[in-house]
Amino acid sequence: MPTYEYRGLILNIPEFDQEHAGYFEYARRHQLAVKRCLDCGLLRWEPGPSCPFCTSLRWEWTPVSGRGEIYSYQIVYHTVLPGFRDWVPYPIVLVELDEQRGVPTPGYGLRITANLVDEHFRPEREERVAIGARVEAVFMDLPNGLTLPQFTLSGEPPRTPLWRHKE
Amino acid sequence: MAHPLRDKYCIVGVGETEYSQRSGRTTRAMAVEAVKKAMDDAGLTPQEVDGLLSYHMGDSTPSTAVASDLGIRPNFFMDVSGGGSSTEALIGLAMGAIEVGMCHTVAIYRSMNGYTQVRIGGTGARASTPVSGSELLTRPYGLMSPLQRFAFAFTRHMMEYGTTSEQLAMVKVVHSRHASANPKAFKKEPVTVEDVLNSRWIVKPVAHLLDCCLETDNATCIIVTSAERARHLRQRPIYIMAVQGRGSRTFPDNPWAEAPITRIGGHYIAPRIFQMAGVGPEDIDITGCYDAFTFTVVLQFEAYGFCKVGEGGYYVSSGIIQLGGKRPNNTSGGHLCEGYTHGMNMVIENVRQLRGQADDYCPGWREGRHTYQYGPGGCRQVRDPEIAMNMGWGTPGYGSALILRR
Ligand SMILES: [Zn+2]
Repeated sequence: MPTYEYRGLILNIPEFDQEHAGYFEYARRHQLAVKRCLDCGLLRWEPGPSCPFCTSLRWEWTPVSGRGEIYSYQIVYHTVLPGFRDWVPYPIVLVELDEQRGVPTPGYGLRITANLVDEHFRPEREERVAIGARVEAVFMDLPNGLTLPQFTLSGEPPRTPLWRHKE
Repeated sequence: MAHPLRDKYCIVGVGETEYSQRSGRTTRAMAVEAVKKAMDDAGLTPQEVDGLLSYHMGDSTPSTAVASDLGIRPNFFMDVSGGGSSTEALIGLAMGAIEVGMCHTVAIYRSMNGYTQVRIGGTGARASTPVSGSELLTRPYGLMSPLQRFAFAFTRHMMEYGTTSEQLAMVKVVHSRHASANPKAFKKEPVTVEDVLNSRWIVKPVAHLLDCCLETDNATCIIVTSAERARHLRQRPIYIMAVQGRGSRTFPDNPWAEAPITRIGGHYIAPRIFQMAGVGPEDIDITGCYDAFTFTVVLQFEAYGFCKVGEGGYYVSSGIIQLGGKRPNNTSGGHLCEGYTHGMNMVIENVRQLRGQADDYCPGWREGRHTYQYGPGGCRQVRDPEIAMNMGWGTPGYGSALILRR
């Protein structure tokens, strides 16, 4: 996977970047993938070269459901990236995946960052963004061959009361 | 029992250039001026300074240039990569370099054209660099600036503890009042809670424009030497009781991996620094709490035990942190109002406060004569502070801390 342009950014994803290349390879097949330790079996995020729980260097990419809930969020009104100016205000969400919540420590979770988008891959409206909202991964295929994982509201009932900032 | 190195080293000189958004000169020229002013402040000649430390984010001038320009021949120098929370950590590194005999007197500087050359906010040059490595997981989502990197932690804080934008605004209100008595401050106009809330959103719900620090051009310098040498120099020695940094939380580079994500590096630093100093938060008279954003102040006061976790919003809006209050914070106006220099200016301010030399509008400040009439164009000297603490913010993942006494 070489170099891609997206919203004025130059993304370099060389083959040797084994921390990230696999993530985008799975995304091209419309699957969200995380790393799994081949020794202790635990999943991890971010996808580093070693298992932070047992230090094993043996790993594989493994697809996950892509389902989870918004753990935290931010609505960007002022972007420092010129290519995103036509997107403001846009939400960035921290999604806690359903897999391996609270394992191996009570606080651990697979928490992934992406935008919350609507069915047209436009930024979701601010009033629909809330902590606790259920989401699922969707895959934004760019004309240049890169696929960017994103999240969208799944419509499932939330497990906990929703929270959003009140003005 | 207090640490064996407690009170063994001192800060003996401080200096800085003007805080502006148009320095019109190089980081080299500014660094040299700041180091020269700190040497003059201490009463040191270049021949008496034999160590240089600086920190940078690829945006500064190395120690070797500054040494050459000032006629300093270092026995030790190093230019460390880093931004916020480097200040306190480098003071500790300077002590270590002296302790092992590599040198005896270290000038630490930070020089940056943080507005006209490399903006810390990520705009301009930084934003156009190619994206690779772990940034592939953030920048394609429009997430790049420090504020955006820190925001998830504080949105969660607002949810979990009910902290409000009004409480955050009070940090800016208080610091702006402090800056109004600081002739050096880049922004001297006092602001109100309404001013903050009516300024435009940058990242909702954590920061309006006025919740964000300034971006400025400036250089700053702090000189560290042994207490033994300090006693023969120009200024009243300011003793380093304890230093820690850069201490981290779990998963420092991915601080969202393990909840509570409102828990910052300071949570782990706090017991270490207070044990080293042999004092507790209740013994601290003034604080310098890194205000990259108003919420970084709240998170750090909680982490270091100045209030309970979840009560930081109350702490900053209760009057405690303002001049005349129980424990004034950032009496210079800090990063929100004086200028942005990655924590150096807050240590410099605390040194001057402990000396009784706050450079305010009192006609006799040079001789330590103050009116203690706080307000715009007035005094900003705290009455006889004995112990000061600095809390240096790097990210939610890590930070540093420093406790000084007179
Ligand atoms: Zn493992």
